[in-house]
Amino acid sequence: MAEQNSTSETLATSGGVPALLRVDEVTKIYGSGHTAVTALQAASMSVDTNEFVALLGPSGSGKTTLISIIGGLLAPTSGSIHLGGVDVTGLSARELTRFRAERVGFVFQSANLVPFLTARENLLYVAGLTKMPKSHARQRADQLLEELGLAARAKNVPEQLSGGERQRVAIGRALMNDPDLVLVDEPTAALDTALGRQVVQLLRREIKDRGKTGIMVTHDLRMVEYTDRVFEILDGHLTHVESPTTAGH
Amino acid sequence: MVFLALTEMRRAKLRFGLLTGAVALLVFLVLLLTTLSGALVGALTGALEGLRADGIVYSDSARDNIAASRLAPETVALVAAVPGVQEAAGVGTLTSGGRVDAESVDFQVFGVDAAGPGSPSGLTEGRLAEAVGEAAVDGDVAIGQVIVLDPSGVELTVVGLLRGAQFNALPTAYTTLDTYDEVVTASFPGLPFVPVNAVAFTVTQDADLSAVVSAISDAVPEVTAYSLTDAVALIPGIESISQSFGILVGLTFIIGIVVIGFFFLILTVQKLRAFTLLRAIGTGSGRLATSVSVQIAIVVLLASVIALGLTLLAVEGLNTGLPVSINVSTVIGTIVAVLVFSLLAGLLSVRRIMRIDPASAVGAR
Ligand SMILES: Nc1ncnc2c1ncn2[C@@H]1O[C@H](COP(=O)(O)OP(=O)(O)OP(=O)(O)O)[C@@H](O)[C@H]1O
Ligand SMILES: [Mg+2]
Repeated sequence: MAEQNSTSETLATSGGVPALLRVDEVTKIYGSGHTAVTALQAASMSVDTNEFVALLGPSGSGKTTLISIIGGLLAPTSGSIHLGGVDVTGLSARELTRFRAERVGFVFQSANLVPFLTARENLLYVAGLTKMPKSHARQRADQLLEELGLAARAKNVPEQLSGGERQRVAIGRALMNDPDLVLVDEPTAALDTALGRQVVQLLRREIKDRGKTGIMVTHDLRMVEYTDRVFEILDGHLTHVESPTTAGH
Repeated sequence: MVFLALTEMRRAKLRFGLLTGAVALLVFLVLLLTTLSGALVGALTGALEGLRADGIVYSDSARDNIAASRLAPETVALVAAVPGVQEAAGVGTLTSGGRVDAESVDFQVFGVDAAGPGSPSGLTEGRLAEAVGEAAVDGDVAIGQVIVLDPSGVELTVVGLLRGAQFNALPTAYTTLDTYDEVVTASFPGLPFVPVNAVAFTVTQDADLSAVVSAISDAVPEVTAYSLTDAVALIPGIESISQSFGILVGLTFIIGIVVIGFFFLILTVQKLRAFTLLRAIGTGSGRLATSVSVQIAIVVLLASVIALGLTLLAVEGLNTGLPVSINVSTVIGTIVAVLVFSLLAGLLSVRRIMRIDPASAVGAR
């Protein structure tokens, strides 16, 4: 690994403005005793508004674990997460549910959509979890579906959609509530290269156009060119890499 | 979440339709059994239950059975003299063969005083018997028809129709005490006097019924008094019939609840992935629990409407020989009970939902 542990470098961002997202010394140990698995070891990173970063690493290295903790789905064993000044690790279960609904957009590795809701309803559903006015929500859902090239598929349920279409609906769902942070887990795993590129390009555009912060987990090096910075994770150790090409596996 | 609940049901019409159908059949069974048992018990007890009396007096030897009770006519005055008794009237009854338009029908004939506490309630048409040879009848006759009793040969003209006044599942004919005397003397010539079977009484407004009941038993020799409710409950066979039907209804009810509870648990387990996803994207578990409860409520209410329709059809169409009628409060009670217990059974699903770890939505697991 060419890079040193980059805590000092990533914690301070340009201009001294605190970064939107700060991950401090996060450790995650699954289980206990001799079956304990250390999935994350003192991981630290910070990502700014309007940044789209990649999280690279082989299978089982702790990528999903890290973004789950960042997104308020999983409690870390130690360490802390701050998003826009909020200490995520200090929130109660109820507050975390709201936090996920309002501030985080998640695109999961699999099973992203509610099977009995249409594409449009999948988007509208998450709006219903917040105080967004109904008419505004409908307008926004239609606009997102349009931008994602899904206007014609809005009334289809997930099983009538292709893998790429489903992935795009999930992206729309993640963006629907105008979250500060968009977390994407392996968006291209189920897609061929061309479609994968298309989806990631789209994701980048949506994040950049809307001034969001995005973290994309991938183990596909070719997708890295669409991101601003690259973090690599190996056996639970997180590092910031300058040049993505050195992160190959 | 009503939207989630309704949308899912719309998208899975077959699944929810089948469930609703199954629940409807079970509720139907419960309603039909309750209605029929009510009708059967009513046919056995209606005459007694319908008396405008607070209590009734039998002879000691009768063992709670009006048909086996014999009282001298003077007993009426003795009962009336007991403090707390407002009014007392003799009731005579016997089972008699009879013919209506050459068709043989058995009747339970009652001799009562139309104005007194022994008179029946449930008059739907016409009036009660006032003169000798008249009768108000709960049975398959029309006003103006003539019933010829066998073997006495006494003729009764139907002047009124009653409902819910059958006895021992027999049609009843309520005549005056004088007509009753005629029937008895003609059937059993040579009797020194015509006994009454019972004395029906009412109590004064401020009297305590149970106190008056014991006072009568104490004051009048060789009789036992009962409150009307007790007398009805003591009719031979009533208890076991009510109990048997109670067990049938209860079992069907429990099976229905278990079906609903397990079905929704299965549905919940099948949808665990979707529910986990919903939790992960910020749905509170309370919302999911509400969604399941809304679905249960809809299924039960829909099923109840169908079951009610089926019950009405069955009551119309089934010829049981009993005067069957739907008891509104029983129906509402049954439906409310099914709803409440189904929601309780839904707690199985809710508990499962509460245990969902939203973190398991991530990754390929
Ligand atoms: N719930 C769990 N209980 C125990 N161990 C777990 C659990 N979840 C993950 N792990 C372990 O933690 C490590 C990191 O898992 P994680 O899912 O974060 O990897 P990943 O980088 O996302 O892998 P992939 O690319 O295959 O999705 C793995 O060794 C995994 O087996
Ligand atoms: Mg993963």
